[in-house]
Amino acid sequence: MLIIEQNRSAKPLLACLFIIGLVIIGTTYIDKQIGEITTDLMYVHITGALVILTLILAVRFRLKGSHGKAWALFLGAMTSWFIAETLWTVYELIYHVNPFPSLADVFYIAGYPFMLLFLINYIKPIKKAITRKMLVTAISVSIAMAIPGIYMAYSFDPKVSWFENIIATTYPIADSIIFVPAIIGISLFFRGEVNFTWSLICIGIVCSFLGDTGFQFAQFTETYYTGHPVDVVLLWSYILYAFGVYDHIKIFGKNIERNSNKISR
Amino acid sequence: MKFFHRNKEDHFESKFIPIDSGMNYDKPYIMKALVALAIDKTLLSIGKPVLDKVTNELYKKYQCYLPDCYDHPEYLEDILKSVFGSSYHTIVHAITVELQDHMSDKGIEVLIKTIGR
Repeated sequence: MLIIEQNRSAKPLLACLFIIGLVIIGTTYIDKQIGEITTDLMYVHITGALVILTLILAVRFRLKGSHGKAWALFLGAMTSWFIAETLWTVYELIYHVNPFPSLADVFYIAGYPFMLLFLINYIKPIKKAITRKMLVTAISVSIAMAIPGIYMAYSFDPKVSWFENIIATTYPIADSIIFVPAIIGISLFFRGEVNFTWSLICIGIVCSFLGDTGFQFAQFTETYYTGHPVDVVLLWSYILYAFGVYDHIKIFGKNIERNSNKISR
Repeated sequence: MKFFHRNKEDHFESKFIPIDSGMNYDKPYIMKALVALAIDKTLLSIGKPVLDKVTNELYKKYQCYLPDCYDHPEYLEDILKSVFGSSYHTIVHAITVELQDHMSDKGIEVLIKTIGR
Protein backbone atom coordinates (compact mmCIF):
# COMPACT_ATOMS: atom_id res chain seq x y z
CA MET A 1 0.00 0.00 0.00
CA LEU A 2 2.92 2.27 0.79
CA ILE A 3 4.19 1.83 -2.76
CA ILE A 4 0.81 2.82 -4.16
CA GLU A 5 0.53 5.84 -1.84
CA GLN A 6 3.92 7.10 -2.97
CA ASN A 7 3.10 7.05 -6.67
CA ARG A 8 1.30 9.80 -8.56
CA SER A 9 -0.59 7.29 -10.71
CA ALA A 10 -2.19 5.77 -7.62
CA LYS A 11 -5.22 8.08 -7.37
CA PRO A 12 -6.29 7.81 -11.04
CA LEU A 13 -5.74 4.05 -10.82
CA LEU A 14 -7.97 3.66 -7.77
CA ALA A 15 -10.58 5.93 -9.40
CA CYS A 16 -10.50 3.80 -12.58
CA LEU A 17 -10.91 0.56 -10.62
CA PHE A 18 -13.81 2.03 -8.66
CA ILE A 19 -15.56 3.46 -11.74
CA ILE A 20 -15.26 0.17 -13.67
CA GLY A 21 -16.73 -1.79 -10.78
CA LEU A 22 -19.53 0.73 -10.33
CA VAL A 23 -20.42 0.91 -14.05
CA ILE A 24 -20.52 -2.87 -14.58
CA ILE A 25 -22.42 -3.69 -11.41
CA GLY A 26 -24.72 -0.68 -11.90
CA THR A 27 -25.63 -1.34 -15.55
CA THR A 28 -26.09 -5.09 -14.91
CA TYR A 29 -28.32 -4.29 -11.94
CA ILE A 30 -30.48 -1.95 -14.11
CA ASP A 31 -30.64 -4.28 -17.14
CA LYS A 32 -28.61 -7.42 -17.88
CA GLN A 33 -28.64 -6.66 -21.62
CA ILE A 34 -27.16 -3.20 -21.08
CA GLY A 35 -24.69 -4.71 -18.61
CA GLU A 36 -23.59 -7.24 -21.23
CA ILE A 37 -23.04 -4.60 -23.92
CA THR A 38 -21.22 -2.28 -21.50
CA THR A 39 -18.94 -5.04 -20.21
CA ASP A 40 -18.06 -6.40 -23.66
CA LEU A 41 -17.32 -2.93 -25.02
CA MET A 42 -15.22 -2.12 -21.97
CA TYR A 43 -13.11 -5.22 -22.54
CA VAL A 44 -12.43 -4.25 -26.16
CA HIS A 45 -11.66 -0.61 -25.37
CA ILE A 46 -9.46 -1.26 -22.35
CA THR A 47 -7.41 -3.99 -24.06
CA GLY A 48 -7.20 -1.79 -27.17
CA ALA A 49 -5.82 1.08 -25.08
CA LEU A 50 -3.42 -1.35 -23.43
CA VAL A 51 -2.12 -2.49 -26.84
CA ILE A 52 -1.50 1.16 -27.83
CA LEU A 53 0.33 1.93 -24.56
CA THR A 54 2.46 -1.20 -24.88
CA LEU A 55 3.21 -0.37 -28.51
CA ILE A 56 4.55 3.05 -27.42
CA LEU A 57 6.82 1.37 -24.87
CA ALA A 58 7.96 -1.39 -27.26
CA VAL A 59 8.81 1.22 -29.93
CA ARG A 60 10.74 3.21 -27.34
CA PHE A 61 12.85 0.18 -26.39
CA ARG A 62 13.19 -0.80 -30.10
CA LEU A 63 13.65 -4.53 -29.42
CA LYS A 64 17.14 -3.80 -28.10
CA GLY A 65 18.41 -5.27 -24.86
CA SER A 66 16.53 -7.75 -22.74
CA HIS A 67 13.91 -5.17 -21.74
CA GLY A 68 13.38 -4.32 -25.40
CA LYS A 69 12.57 -7.96 -26.12
CA ALA A 70 10.48 -8.15 -22.96
CA TRP A 71 8.19 -5.29 -23.96
CA ALA A 72 7.83 -6.70 -27.48
CA LEU A 73 6.67 -9.97 -25.91
CA PHE A 74 4.29 -8.10 -23.62
CA LEU A 75 2.91 -6.43 -26.75
CA GLY A 76 2.37 -9.93 -28.19
CA ALA A 77 0.45 -10.99 -25.08
CA MET A 78 -1.71 -7.88 -25.03
CA THR A 79 -2.44 -8.10 -28.77
CA SER A 80 -3.46 -11.73 -28.37
CA TRP A 81 -5.80 -10.86 -25.49
CA PHE A 82 -7.19 -7.88 -27.40
CA ILE A 83 -8.06 -10.19 -30.32
CA ALA A 84 -9.59 -12.67 -27.87
CA GLU A 85 -11.75 -9.98 -26.23
CA THR A 86 -12.85 -8.67 -29.63
CA LEU A 87 -13.78 -12.19 -30.79
CA TRP A 88 -15.69 -12.78 -27.56
CA THR A 89 -17.64 -9.54 -28.08
CA VAL A 90 -18.39 -10.43 -31.72
CA TYR A 91 -19.64 -13.91 -30.74
CA GLU A 92 -21.78 -12.53 -27.95
CA LEU A 93 -23.15 -9.26 -29.30
CA ILE A 94 -23.32 -9.98 -33.05
CA TYR A 95 -23.78 -13.77 -33.41
CA HIS A 96 -25.52 -14.21 -30.04
CA VAL A 97 -23.74 -17.50 -29.30
CA ASN A 98 -21.97 -18.72 -26.16
CA PRO A 99 -18.29 -17.87 -26.73
CA PHE A 100 -16.95 -20.63 -24.44
CA PRO A 101 -15.24 -22.68 -25.81
CA SER A 102 -14.41 -20.85 -29.03
CA LEU A 103 -11.63 -19.34 -31.14
CA ALA A 104 -11.43 -16.60 -28.51
CA ASP A 105 -10.00 -19.17 -26.07
CA VAL A 106 -7.18 -19.94 -28.52
CA PHE A 107 -6.12 -16.29 -28.36
CA TYR A 108 -6.61 -16.07 -24.58
CA ILE A 109 -4.34 -19.11 -24.09
CA ALA A 110 -1.86 -17.91 -26.75
CA GLY A 111 -1.25 -14.79 -24.67
CA TYR A 112 0.18 -16.76 -21.73
CA PRO A 113 3.49 -17.94 -23.33
CA PHE A 114 4.13 -14.34 -24.42
CA MET A 115 3.42 -13.13 -20.91
CA LEU A 116 5.72 -15.77 -19.38
CA LEU A 117 8.52 -14.90 -21.81
CA PHE A 118 8.00 -11.20 -21.07
CA LEU A 119 8.41 -11.80 -17.34
CA ILE A 120 11.49 -14.01 -17.87
CA ASN A 121 13.14 -11.48 -20.21
CA TYR A 122 12.41 -8.61 -17.86
CA ILE A 123 14.14 -10.22 -14.90
CA LYS A 124 16.91 -11.77 -17.05
CA PRO A 125 19.49 -8.97 -16.49
CA ILE A 126 19.19 -9.45 -12.73
CA LYS A 127 18.78 -13.24 -12.69
CA LYS A 128 21.90 -13.65 -10.52
CA ALA A 129 20.00 -11.99 -7.68
CA ILE A 130 17.40 -14.78 -7.65
CA THR A 131 18.04 -16.98 -4.64
CA ARG A 132 16.86 -20.57 -4.25
CA LYS A 133 14.70 -19.51 -1.30
CA MET A 134 13.00 -16.86 -3.46
CA LEU A 135 12.34 -19.40 -6.21
CA VAL A 136 10.98 -22.06 -3.82
CA THR A 137 8.68 -19.51 -2.12
CA ALA A 138 7.34 -18.26 -5.46
CA ILE A 139 6.71 -21.81 -6.75
CA SER A 140 5.03 -22.83 -3.46
CA VAL A 141 2.70 -19.80 -3.47
CA SER A 142 1.91 -20.44 -7.11
CA ILE A 143 1.10 -24.14 -6.60
CA ALA A 144 -1.01 -23.32 -3.54
CA MET A 145 -3.00 -20.88 -5.68
CA ALA A 146 -3.31 -23.27 -8.62
CA ILE A 147 -4.79 -26.27 -6.77
CA PRO A 148 -8.19 -24.75 -5.82
CA GLY A 149 -8.31 -23.08 -9.23
CA ILE A 150 -7.84 -26.35 -11.12
CA TYR A 151 -10.30 -28.13 -8.83
CA MET A 152 -12.98 -25.51 -9.49
CA ALA A 153 -12.29 -25.31 -13.21
CA TYR A 154 -12.42 -29.06 -13.86
CA SER A 155 -15.90 -30.44 -14.32
CA PHE A 156 -16.78 -34.02 -13.46
CA ASP A 157 -20.08 -33.64 -15.32
CA PRO A 158 -20.11 -36.28 -18.15
CA LYS A 159 -21.90 -33.75 -20.40
CA VAL A 160 -18.78 -31.57 -20.38
CA SER A 161 -16.34 -32.70 -23.07
CA TRP A 162 -12.65 -33.39 -22.35
CA PHE A 163 -11.79 -30.53 -24.72
CA GLU A 164 -13.84 -28.08 -22.65
CA ASN A 165 -12.19 -29.39 -19.49
CA ILE A 166 -8.71 -29.01 -20.98
CA ILE A 167 -9.42 -25.40 -21.93
CA ALA A 168 -11.00 -24.67 -18.56
CA THR A 169 -8.10 -26.09 -16.53
CA THR A 170 -5.47 -24.48 -18.76
CA TYR A 171 -6.37 -21.05 -17.39
CA PRO A 172 -5.56 -21.59 -13.68
CA ILE A 173 -2.43 -23.59 -14.62
CA ALA A 174 -1.18 -20.86 -16.99
CA ASP A 175 -2.06 -18.17 -14.44
CA SER A 176 -0.09 -19.91 -11.72
CA ILE A 177 2.93 -20.39 -14.03
CA ILE A 178 3.15 -16.69 -14.86
CA PHE A 179 2.69 -15.90 -11.19
CA VAL A 180 6.15 -17.37 -10.35
CA PRO A 181 8.31 -14.80 -12.23
CA ALA A 182 5.91 -12.03 -11.21
CA ILE A 183 6.50 -12.73 -7.50
CA ILE A 184 10.26 -13.01 -8.07
CA GLY A 185 10.20 -9.73 -9.99
CA ILE A 186 8.42 -7.85 -7.25
CA SER A 187 10.89 -9.01 -4.61
CA LEU A 188 13.86 -8.17 -6.87
CA PHE A 189 12.77 -4.66 -7.69
CA PHE A 190 11.59 -3.90 -4.15
CA ARG A 191 12.11 -0.22 -3.22
CA GLY A 192 13.13 0.77 -6.73
CA GLU A 193 11.22 3.00 -9.18
CA VAL A 194 10.47 -0.05 -11.32
CA ASN A 195 8.78 -1.61 -8.32
CA PHE A 196 5.47 0.17 -8.92
CA THR A 197 5.21 -1.37 -12.41
CA TRP A 198 5.99 -4.80 -11.01
CA SER A 199 3.52 -4.40 -8.18
CA LEU A 200 0.80 -3.54 -10.66
CA ILE A 201 1.68 -6.38 -13.03
CA CYS A 202 1.80 -8.82 -10.12
CA ILE A 203 -1.53 -7.60 -8.70
CA GLY A 204 -2.88 -7.73 -12.27
CA ILE A 205 -1.82 -11.38 -12.57
CA VAL A 206 -3.50 -12.14 -9.22
CA CYS A 207 -6.70 -10.44 -10.45
CA SER A 208 -6.49 -12.38 -13.71
CA PHE A 209 -6.04 -15.63 -11.77
CA LEU A 210 -8.96 -14.89 -9.44
CA GLY A 211 -11.11 -13.74 -12.34
CA ASP A 212 -10.35 -16.83 -14.43
CA THR A 213 -11.04 -19.16 -11.50
CA GLY A 214 -14.27 -17.35 -10.71
CA PHE A 215 -15.24 -17.41 -14.38
CA GLN A 216 -14.67 -21.17 -14.70
CA PHE A 217 -16.58 -21.79 -11.50
CA ALA A 218 -19.49 -19.61 -12.67
CA GLN A 219 -19.46 -21.30 -16.11
CA PHE A 220 -19.72 -24.81 -14.70
CA THR A 221 -22.32 -23.88 -12.12
CA GLU A 222 -24.14 -22.14 -15.01
CA THR A 223 -24.38 -18.89 -13.09
CA TYR A 224 -22.16 -16.87 -15.40
CA TYR A 225 -23.53 -13.92 -17.36
CA THR A 226 -21.55 -11.11 -18.96
CA GLY A 227 -21.41 -8.37 -16.34
CA HIS A 228 -20.88 -10.90 -13.54
CA PRO A 229 -18.60 -9.63 -10.70
CA VAL A 230 -15.77 -11.85 -12.08
CA ASP A 231 -15.75 -9.56 -15.12
CA VAL A 232 -14.98 -6.63 -12.84
CA VAL A 233 -11.96 -8.54 -11.47
CA LEU A 234 -10.80 -9.50 -14.98
CA LEU A 235 -11.15 -5.91 -16.19
CA TRP A 236 -9.19 -4.75 -13.15
CA SER A 237 -6.30 -6.95 -14.27
CA TYR A 238 -6.16 -5.13 -17.64
CA ILE A 239 -6.40 -1.75 -15.90
CA LEU A 240 -3.52 -2.71 -13.59
CA TYR A 241 -1.40 -3.80 -16.58
CA ALA A 242 -2.25 -0.54 -18.37
CA PHE A 243 -1.20 1.60 -15.41
CA GLY A 244 1.97 -0.49 -15.02
CA VAL A 245 2.88 0.14 -18.65
CA TYR A 246 1.94 3.83 -18.35
CA ASP A 247 4.17 4.16 -15.29
CA HIS A 248 7.02 2.56 -17.22
CA ILE A 249 6.50 4.99 -20.10
CA LYS A 250 6.82 7.79 -17.54
CA ILE A 251 10.00 6.34 -15.97
CA PHE A 252 11.73 5.61 -19.28
CA GLY A 253 10.00 8.41 -21.13
CA LYS A 254 10.75 10.31 -24.31
CA ASN A 255 11.98 13.38 -22.40
CA ILE A 256 14.77 11.24 -20.97
CA GLU A 257 15.89 10.28 -24.44
CA ARG A 258 15.86 13.90 -25.56
CA ASN A 259 17.74 15.07 -22.46
CA SER A 260 20.33 12.34 -22.70
CA ASN A 261 20.92 13.20 -26.35
CA LYS A 262 21.54 16.76 -25.24
CA ILE A 263 23.92 15.49 -22.58
CA SER A 264 25.87 13.35 -25.00
CA ARG A 265 26.18 16.30 -27.36
CA MET B 1 53.36 10.30 -33.52
CA LYS B 2 51.35 12.56 -31.26
CA PHE B 3 49.08 11.55 -28.40
CA PHE B 4 46.35 13.69 -26.94
CA HIS B 5 44.72 14.21 -23.59
CA ARG B 6 41.83 16.35 -22.40
CA ASN B 7 42.14 19.69 -20.71
CA LYS B 8 41.34 19.20 -17.00
CA GLU B 9 39.32 22.42 -16.66
CA ASP B 10 36.44 21.47 -18.95
CA HIS B 11 36.48 17.74 -19.29
CA PHE B 12 33.38 17.17 -21.39
CA GLU B 13 33.25 19.94 -23.89
CA SER B 14 36.99 19.69 -23.90
CA LYS B 15 39.76 20.79 -26.19
CA PHE B 16 42.43 18.22 -26.79
CA ILE B 17 45.98 19.15 -26.01
CA PRO B 18 48.80 17.42 -27.87
CA ILE B 19 51.57 15.77 -25.93
CA ASP B 20 54.87 15.09 -27.56
CA SER B 21 56.12 12.02 -25.71
CA GLY B 22 55.07 8.74 -27.32
CA MET B 23 53.97 6.74 -24.27
CA ASN B 24 52.52 9.58 -22.22
CA TYR B 25 48.84 9.45 -21.44
CA ASP B 26 46.70 10.66 -18.59
CA LYS B 27 45.70 7.50 -16.68
CA PRO B 28 42.71 8.91 -14.77
CA TYR B 29 41.09 9.92 -18.07
CA ILE B 30 41.56 6.45 -19.51
CA MET B 31 40.07 4.98 -16.35
CA LYS B 32 37.15 7.41 -16.49
CA ALA B 33 36.49 6.33 -20.06
CA LEU B 34 36.67 2.66 -19.05
CA VAL B 35 34.21 3.23 -16.20
CA ALA B 36 31.83 5.05 -18.53
CA LEU B 37 32.10 2.22 -21.08
CA ALA B 38 31.47 -0.46 -18.45
CA ILE B 39 28.35 1.30 -17.13
CA ASP B 40 27.23 2.05 -20.67
CA LYS B 41 27.62 -1.58 -21.80
CA THR B 42 25.87 -3.00 -18.73
CA LEU B 43 22.88 -0.68 -18.97
CA LEU B 44 22.61 -0.98 -22.76
CA SER B 45 22.26 -4.75 -22.38
CA ILE B 46 19.05 -4.02 -20.46
CA GLY B 47 17.79 -1.37 -22.85
CA LYS B 48 18.69 2.05 -24.19
CA PRO B 49 15.92 3.85 -22.27
CA VAL B 50 17.42 2.37 -19.07
CA LEU B 51 20.84 3.86 -19.90
CA ASP B 52 19.14 7.14 -20.82
CA LYS B 53 17.27 7.14 -17.52
CA VAL B 54 20.46 6.65 -15.48
CA THR B 55 22.49 9.26 -17.39
CA ASN B 56 19.60 11.71 -17.20
CA GLU B 57 19.15 11.21 -13.45
CA LEU B 58 22.90 11.61 -12.91
CA TYR B 59 22.82 14.92 -14.70
CA LYS B 60 19.58 16.11 -13.10
CA LYS B 61 20.59 15.30 -9.54
CA TYR B 62 24.37 15.80 -9.56
CA GLN B 63 25.09 17.65 -12.82
CA CYS B 64 27.55 14.95 -13.76
CA TYR B 65 28.14 12.43 -16.55
CA LEU B 66 29.05 8.75 -16.60
CA PRO B 67 32.87 9.33 -16.60
CA ASP B 68 32.46 11.47 -13.46
CA CYS B 69 31.28 8.37 -11.58
CA TYR B 70 34.97 7.45 -11.38
CA ASP B 71 35.49 10.38 -8.99
CA HIS B 72 32.01 10.22 -7.42
CA PRO B 73 30.89 6.59 -7.26
CA GLU B 74 28.34 7.51 -4.59
CA TYR B 75 26.31 9.35 -7.26
CA LEU B 76 26.05 6.22 -9.36
CA GLU B 77 25.23 4.15 -6.28
CA ASP B 78 22.34 6.48 -5.41
CA ILE B 79 20.87 6.54 -8.94
CA LEU B 80 21.15 2.77 -9.49
CA LYS B 81 19.50 2.13 -6.12
CA SER B 82 16.63 4.50 -6.89
CA VAL B 83 15.93 2.92 -10.28
CA PHE B 84 16.54 -0.77 -9.63
CA GLY B 85 15.78 -1.13 -5.92
CA SER B 86 16.90 -4.43 -4.42
CA SER B 87 18.20 -5.74 -7.75
CA TYR B 88 20.79 -2.96 -7.88
CA HIS B 89 23.50 -5.34 -6.63
CA THR B 90 23.22 -7.46 -9.79
CA ILE B 91 23.80 -4.37 -11.95
CA VAL B 92 26.83 -3.54 -9.78
CA HIS B 93 28.07 -7.11 -10.21
CA ALA B 94 27.81 -6.78 -14.00
CA ILE B 95 29.75 -3.48 -13.91
CA THR B 96 32.38 -5.12 -11.66
CA VAL B 97 32.82 -7.97 -14.15
CA GLU B 98 33.39 -5.42 -16.92
CA LEU B 99 36.06 -3.65 -14.85
CA GLN B 100 37.71 -6.74 -13.42
CA ASP B 101 40.89 -6.38 -15.47
CA HIS B 102 41.49 -2.89 -14.13
CA MET B 103 41.06 -3.52 -10.44
CA SER B 104 44.71 -2.59 -9.86
CA ASP B 105 43.72 1.03 -10.36
CA LYS B 106 42.98 2.71 -7.01
CA GLY B 107 40.08 4.76 -8.39
CA ILE B 108 38.32 1.73 -9.87
CA GLU B 109 38.86 -0.21 -6.65
CA VAL B 110 37.24 2.62 -4.68
CA LEU B 111 34.38 2.79 -7.20
CA ILE B 112 33.66 -0.94 -6.94
CA LYS B 113 33.83 -0.82 -3.14
CA THR B 114 31.55 2.20 -2.95
CA ILE B 115 28.83 1.01 -5.30
CA GLY B 116 29.05 -2.53 -3.95
CA ARG B 117 28.57 -1.69 -0.28
